[in-house]
Amino acid sequence: MSASQSSRTTRSLIVIWTVTVIAFLYIPMVAVALASFSKQRYFRFPISRWTTEWYTKTFESLSVRDLLWTSLSVAALVTVFSVLLAFFGALAFARYDWKGRKLYQRLVLLPIFFPQAVLGLALLLWFSVLDVTTSWQTAVFAHMIWIVPIVILIMSIQVYSFDPALEEAAFDLGATRWQVLREVTLPILSPGIISGGTFAFLLSWGNFPLSLFTTGADQTVPEWLYAKMVSGYTPMVPTLGTLTMSGAAILILVIYLVWMALGARRRARMATNDE
Amino acid sequence: MSEDGSAFLELDGITKKFGSFTAVRDISLKIREGEFFTLVGPSGSGKTTMIRMLVGMERPTGGEMRLQGKVLNDVPANKRPTCMVFQSLALFPHKSVGENIEFSLKIAGVDPIRRRRRAEELLAQLRLPVEYYDKGVNQCSGGERQRIALARALAFDPQILFFDEPLSALDFRLRKTLEKELKDIHKETGKTFVYITHSLEEAMVMSDRIAIMRDGGIVQVGSPQEIYNRPVNKFVAQFMGEVNTIAVEKASARTVRATADGSTFQVPGMPAGFETGFLIIRPEVMKIGKAAEKLKNKVKGVVFNDYALGSRIQYQVRSDARDEHWLVERLQDDPYEGHVDDKVTIGWQPADSILVSE
Repeated sequence: MSASQSSRTTRSLIVIWTVTVIAFLYIPMVAVALASFSKQRYFRFPISRWTTEWYTKTFESLSVRDLLWTSLSVAALVTVFSVLLAFFGALAFARYDWKGRKLYQRLVLLPIFFPQAVLGLALLLWFSVLDVTTSWQTAVFAHMIWIVPIVILIMSIQVYSFDPALEEAAFDLGATRWQVLREVTLPILSPGIISGGTFAFLLSWGNFPLSLFTTGADQTVPEWLYAKMVSGYTPMVPTLGTLTMSGAAILILVIYLVWMALGARRRARMATNDE
Repeated sequence: MSEDGSAFLELDGITKKFGSFTAVRDISLKIREGEFFTLVGPSGSGKTTMIRMLVGMERPTGGEMRLQGKVLNDVPANKRPTCMVFQSLALFPHKSVGENIEFSLKIAGVDPIRRRRRAEELLAQLRLPVEYYDKGVNQCSGGERQRIALARALAFDPQILFFDEPLSALDFRLRKTLEKELKDIHKETGKTFVYITHSLEEAMVMSDRIAIMRDGGIVQVGSPQEIYNRPVNKFVAQFMGEVNTIAVEKASARTVRATADGSTFQVPGMPAGFETGFLIIRPEVMKIGKAAEKLKNKVKGVVFNDYALGSRIQYQVRSDARDEHWLVERLQDDPYEGHVDDKVTIGWQPADSILVSE
């Protein structure tokens, strides 16, 4: 009797805990979303009059279109280059045993812990010394310094569980190095590549401190949000914030669904059964 | 060199050094076409390094290997007409059973219809249902996965098929079944099989010839019968399983003396130049009780323990002639009724013992 009593108490505690965590995470975002639908210029609660005019304004705004395009270009290039670099970086990190690997593993992760604002400023100084005009292209470079190590780390998890004998077996069955990569290594590591790529995109899309110093005359979405909040607040700030957040959520959902659809058959096979 | 002209795979002084460590030293072997040849050795004996060199994953640092007279040393694994079944099997987890089996055919550019037909033939040959073609490899049982790995290697149509202890992870009964199946497949295909294992027992069941490795070198090469009946030294004899090993020295032209207590035993023959060595007697040729009384070599001792081994009973007997216990085995229906702490006589025929010098 008392056992079932205590298990019921445990269950209700788990529910309370879960609801608290979800509320803690989502209340700020919900507040921002509500602010974007408010008629008043400044956010006050409760909302007395509702409107969608800020959405119309945001969609029609040419400067917002520029912002989105800049952010998208930066994030897309960062994703492509990071995944390419990090794929081979992760192989060196986790797949091959070589002299100096331990040192490499430490050095390659160091930039993650470097304060981003300081890194941004340092890069800006370097760009000016080297006489490079800063623009969204230089921001791509800056983002990569911070993001490539993270993507290497994410991909390494997958690489660690990769059995090198699989590559040897393919090679032994007559495959060239390139065929081994295409037929065995890439498909097996693809979940790591996809999650690494998703992280690269989202981290670049939302990055503020590095962009602030390195985009020059160009402006990304986070920079604009910050600038508008500091001076010249408009409800377009919460609107664009809500839109980009929804965009990110949709992006992850789409990647997940595509992955599920493409991989359903394969994953069914890869799932081990307990016979 | 060539006392046997029919060498298919010939190893000539193969050596592999990793820095200052020599994993394989000066191995020369001739493997015949169609033979089931097994390299047996404990871990660290160099057998894994040896097979990795044979497959092309490692390069020898000395010596030459030739397949039908063609030097293989610098040919990479993907250009060799040989193929290996890996210890972990290394089945591709993202591919179906069928895709695994026909992998080498896909690489060779064979069209999908012919690939599939060949994969289905192999499934049938290895007694797997044809429906398994679309199944995931991780959904198959341990024994099925073994057969898939073998089918994948056979699809490559290799001139030599190598095996790196593929059965070591399986439970006893399944291993016994697959050992016999593998021997059947060998007979059916007529291919040359080169197998490595740490289990001499496994090697005995399947092999035409066995090479025993130790510390990177080969200790003895021969048929299972030769290895069993005429081990060249104590190491090979003990590798077979439990044996009685008595440290002895030469006493006369037909006898040896136990170094522990001086008792003398007759031997089948004295190797030229023999001074000291070991007398080896298998537990199953030893007699106990009345049956031992009339034998030429006997020892008095006390039964220390007994074990039921299924069809046989094993006794441990203590005596002064050796430091260790004697092991004596008799069939369940033999007349001796022994008990622990009985004083008994144990013995053996001189012809059933083996004298080795190291």
